[in-house]
Amino acid sequence: MRSAVASQAIMVPPDSPHNYPGTLGNQPVAVNFHAGSHYVGLRLLEGYLPVEKIKLVHYGSPIHRFESMLNGEVAAAVVMEPWIALGEKLGCKTVAEGHYLGAENASEDMDEETFAAINRAVENAVDLINADKRKYLHYLIDDPSFAQAAAKYGGLTPEDFHLPRLRYTRPAVYTDEMVEDTYNWLTRWGLLSDLACSADLVDNRIAEPASADD
Amino acid sequence: MKKVVSEISGVVFSLPWLVAKDNGLFEAEGIDMEFVKAIRTGPVEHTENPEDVNPILGHVAFEQGQVSIYRA
Repeated sequence: MRSAVASQAIMVPPDSPHNYPGTLGNQPVAVNFHAGSHYVGLRLLEGYLPVEKIKLVHYGSPIHRFESMLNGEVAAAVVMEPWIALGEKLGCKTVAEGHYLGAENASEDMDEETFAAINRAVENAVDLINADKRKYLHYLIDDPSFAQAAAKYGGLTPEDFHLPRLRYTRPAVYTDEMVEDTYNWLTRWGLLSDLACSADLVDNRIAEPASADD
Repeated sequence: MKKVVSEISGVVFSLPWLVAKDNGLFEAEGIDMEFVKAIRTGPVEHTENPEDVNPILGHVAFEQGQVSIYRA
């Protein structure tokens, strides 16, 4: 698993009539299909709405999702940081939010020693970040793909972030149970062919079993 | 030093990697880490059908073998 336990939030404009997910039935919600916003959006909305009332629409990159929400083109958008912080700074409302896991995807020819060395470096970086998260927020704020777009909304400062939302843990392996649960969820939503076998999807052969979450 | 090329997409997902590189943590482990930015998508055709969208998204460099690791 990757070290970032990221968060995706369903956000609505400041003047939106929506204050919780249950009123978003048949309302367009902007996501990026086959990515975190898509999967977390479904996981959050299915707790409030019948499947047939969930209306996710592919809008691609975060800026397009965010701005389609802000200008009222869609009722809501699912975004991650630093777009959540920007939305909250602008008065947008988070109607639901969920953290989720992701993967480090390595090529088949990456050897165990190299992968272990990479993980040690990442683990040390995780420790640095968790010791002082605010110190590293400039990476998010100054990222060109965000900063240019955010500038027209006044940009962000480190004080605009809710630090507990940013969660980083030491890389760890996917358990069989996690893989099976995710496989079953994906096939139930038709997002993965049930002809695929869960054992074919994750190969933990070169991850370090000793690594554990903080 | 072992050369490794990694894709970087959303910064929030790769923050430890950026911090590791800037603080010499990869170098200390004998890794010469190079980052390649994921392809940024512009405006897309809106659809409600996930099957209309290629699930590879911007991770083209990995699919083409130009990078050996990415996170998603």
